[in-house]
Amino acid sequence: MAGPAGGSPWRLAWRRLRANRVALGFLGLFVLTVLFCLAAPIWADKVAHTGPNDTHTLQKIEVDGEKRDVVNVEGKPIGPVWLGADGKFFLGADGRLGRDEMVRLMYGGRISLFIGIVSALITTILATILGLLAGYYRGATDAVISRTLDVIWAFPVLLLAIALGLTLAVGGLQIGPLHLSGSSIWIPILIIGLVYTPYVARPIRGEVLALREKEFVEAAVAQGAGPLRVMFGELLPNLWSTIIVFFTLAIANNMLLESALSFLGVGVQPPNTSWGTMIATGLNLITSAPLLTIIPGTMILLTVLAANVFGDGLRDALDPKSKIRFEAHSGLSATEGSERIEGIVP
Amino acid sequence: MRKLGLKLLVLGATIGSAFGVAACGDSAGGKEGGTLTGSYAAFPDYLDPGLSYLLEGWTAMYDTYIPLLTYAHATGEAGSKVVPGLAKSLPKISNGGKTYSLTLQKGLKYSDGTPVKASDFTSTVERLFKLNSPGTSFYSDIVGAEEFAETKKGGIAGIETNDATGEIVINLTKPRGTFVNELGLLFVALLPSGTPAKDLTANPPPATGPYVITKAERGRGWSYERNPYWAKANAELVPEVPSGHVNQIEISVVRNDSTQVSNVEQGKTDWMQPPVPSDQYASIKDKYEGTQFRIDRPINVYYFWMNTTEPPFDDLKVRQAVNYAVDTAALERIYSGSLAATHQILPPAMPGHEEFDLYPHSMAKAEALLEQAKPSDLDITVWTDNESPNDEAGAYYQDVLAKLGFNAKLKTINADSYFTVIGNLSTPDLDTGWTAFVQDYPHPSDFFSLQLLGESIAPIYNTNFAQIDVPALNKKITKLGEEELGPEQEAEYAALDKEFMEEAPWVPYGNNTLSTFVSSEIELDEIVFNPTFGQDLTSFQFK
Repeated sequence: MAGPAGGSPWRLAWRRLRANRVALGFLGLFVLTVLFCLAAPIWADKVAHTGPNDTHTLQKIEVDGEKRDVVNVEGKPIGPVWLGADGKFFLGADGRLGRDEMVRLMYGGRISLFIGIVSALITTILATILGLLAGYYRGATDAVISRTLDVIWAFPVLLLAIALGLTLAVGGLQIGPLHLSGSSIWIPILIIGLVYTPYVARPIRGEVLALREKEFVEAAVAQGAGPLRVMFGELLPNLWSTIIVFFTLAIANNMLLESALSFLGVGVQPPNTSWGTMIATGLNLITSAPLLTIIPGTMILLTVLAANVFGDGLRDALDPKSKIRFEAHSGLSATEGSERIEGIVP
Repeated sequence: MRKLGLKLLVLGATIGSAFGVAACGDSAGGKEGGTLTGSYAAFPDYLDPGLSYLLEGWTAMYDTYIPLLTYAHATGEAGSKVVPGLAKSLPKISNGGKTYSLTLQKGLKYSDGTPVKASDFTSTVERLFKLNSPGTSFYSDIVGAEEFAETKKGGIAGIETNDATGEIVINLTKPRGTFVNELGLLFVALLPSGTPAKDLTANPPPATGPYVITKAERGRGWSYERNPYWAKANAELVPEVPSGHVNQIEISVVRNDSTQVSNVEQGKTDWMQPPVPSDQYASIKDKYEGTQFRIDRPINVYYFWMNTTEPPFDDLKVRQAVNYAVDTAALERIYSGSLAATHQILPPAMPGHEEFDLYPHSMAKAEALLEQAKPSDLDITVWTDNESPNDEAGAYYQDVLAKLGFNAKLKTINADSYFTVIGNLSTPDLDTGWTAFVQDYPHPSDFFSLQLLGESIAPIYNTNFAQIDVPALNKKITKLGEEELGPEQEAEYAALDKEFMEEAPWVPYGNNTLSTFVSSEIELDEIVFNPTFGQDLTSFQFK
């Protein structure tokens, strides 16, 4: 008997995703943002001729033939000059320090994206391991892991992250021989990666509990497969679609949290820049130079939106069953139902 | 830190005898009563008179805790005058300047009804040493104080009191030309005997002044009400301290300066304690100067300190190089024109100030000096607080150090705890950072003895951030501190300023102005800006 046309689940998922133009469009936006930020060293070196932290308070530049202060005597920074100075200060200066806003936007995006992606990786890896262990072993192991996750989950995410950030800001973090200074970007990465772990681990645990009862697991055990082989050889492949979806959605959530922490002064530490710190800096000049706040805020909005919409599309492509089940039985949309069961929304 | 003002204000005062309410009298155009709302950008370091050493704390407590002597509640030079507080008169000085005799007014009460006793002065001073307060250096010359500081036992022998007569006699180990000024500081504002030797910010001790702090929530705000025993007992006995016009004061912490400005403009808040932020300075000045806004000129210096005990700043050439590298003109712009550049310790208007600049900006000279010094330790942590534009000054300084070839990392600390962190010598990587100092009193010794004298280095609440300890210069500071201030001493202070800048423990960069901005409901002209304590809460009055 011939099998269905199209073959493997991955190929089918790719077909569904390809048909979702909106998701692909936002993927394209996300990729463009990443490329924009990756181009930071090129722009800084070849166009702006300045680094992200270089100050130019007393400097004058020629804009369309006219000499202008980067920062005037009253402390007001120059606004966007676009291509009037051959690309230098394209978006103007970031404040009284006279740093190039465009350069900082690009470098800041690198840091925001790096933190968002790496912390999402940490979240999904930690959550997968904990979910597998709790779901497979059940009993005391499940109880310990689940209660620990419950304790972390009990704290509002932002408050927990602020508390950890403040604690580690001065002395840094010592893990054995490894010391991270308070200004290291690994501090917010680890904090954000940790605080969102329960939101991903619990649903993965739920899936493992369900998969564990399937015949293929029984068969593997009957063939002599040990726990590690079952978890990572049998269960994990069936979780990939869930993990990938969580990963993309976690990028969006984690970038938002990073922006909030950096804005509050407990995330990325100055003079390093992220979009969150740029909003905080711009706030000091909100009345005289509102673009300094609007531009990085818009970048956060677009990037998080892109990650979220693509993540939704990916979920629809990889896990259509959840869509059918929810629409048929609960009257909830796939998004509403999935978010409830996933607990991804704190 | 304290503030200095320009205009002299005259408040008419009549003493009311109404039960529980001190009628402070009529001022032209103002009315009595009401609740004043104010905002701060950060919670004061402490609301404990024994511990606070920032302008914000002193402004908050000037009208709450009264020492034996106090500073006249006036703006400008008049406000620098020391007058009797809880004492009947200024001290009688004898024994070659080593003995100070005062008498406590009889009948004074704290806000909880406890009688004020002469022996409360002894316990207040002892409490300072038990707390390792930053103010102890002002009183270390009292006989027995140093021993007490070491052991915390046995009392301070140099203070003799008689509760029956109210007499207080203070014996010093040596003459101290600034001691009268120092008796007017909040550190020695009397507190009841038995006041615990711990930070009482969360539950401030009973007051002797016209207002009492009734509630304090660190990080959020605090409240005042009229001291019930001010009208009943203290007002007549402390005539130099006004009774205040408003009945209640509510202060909240609003971290964003622009929000504070907008609250004042809209009348949601009556007064903002911090100066108007620099990006709005020009527009607010244009719109409100003379009606709701005025500029006050405190005596202060803003600078970057360098830890002279650790590499690379233990090398004089490195410190001098950094002085050459910092361009004070850039910092003037960072402060939006409110800062006047300087490259020396004593500010203008301070006796002993003679203008000079040993390190006019030159990157070439800086690099040449570094080439000679060849510092091996290039990893530097630059400390700054998170209040604008001080954080930007710190970022600028970090960039300058990076351009010199150092691996400079900026560490930004919340303003609420900044001075506690950098004043704790066990904090790691205290290499260099931002700070500012406003005069405690109008005497040049104030700038040297707290910040540059070797003996003032303390393990916690340290104020000599550079940890400089040069015996020859220490001797000069101490000698000058014992003498009455005259032309000869002023010339010597000017020379000392230069000698210290040759040692370059700091990079002084400017003297800042401050502003008073109030809502349209407040009588701007009535507000007193005391050079030591800032805006005087007793002078705020509704139109």
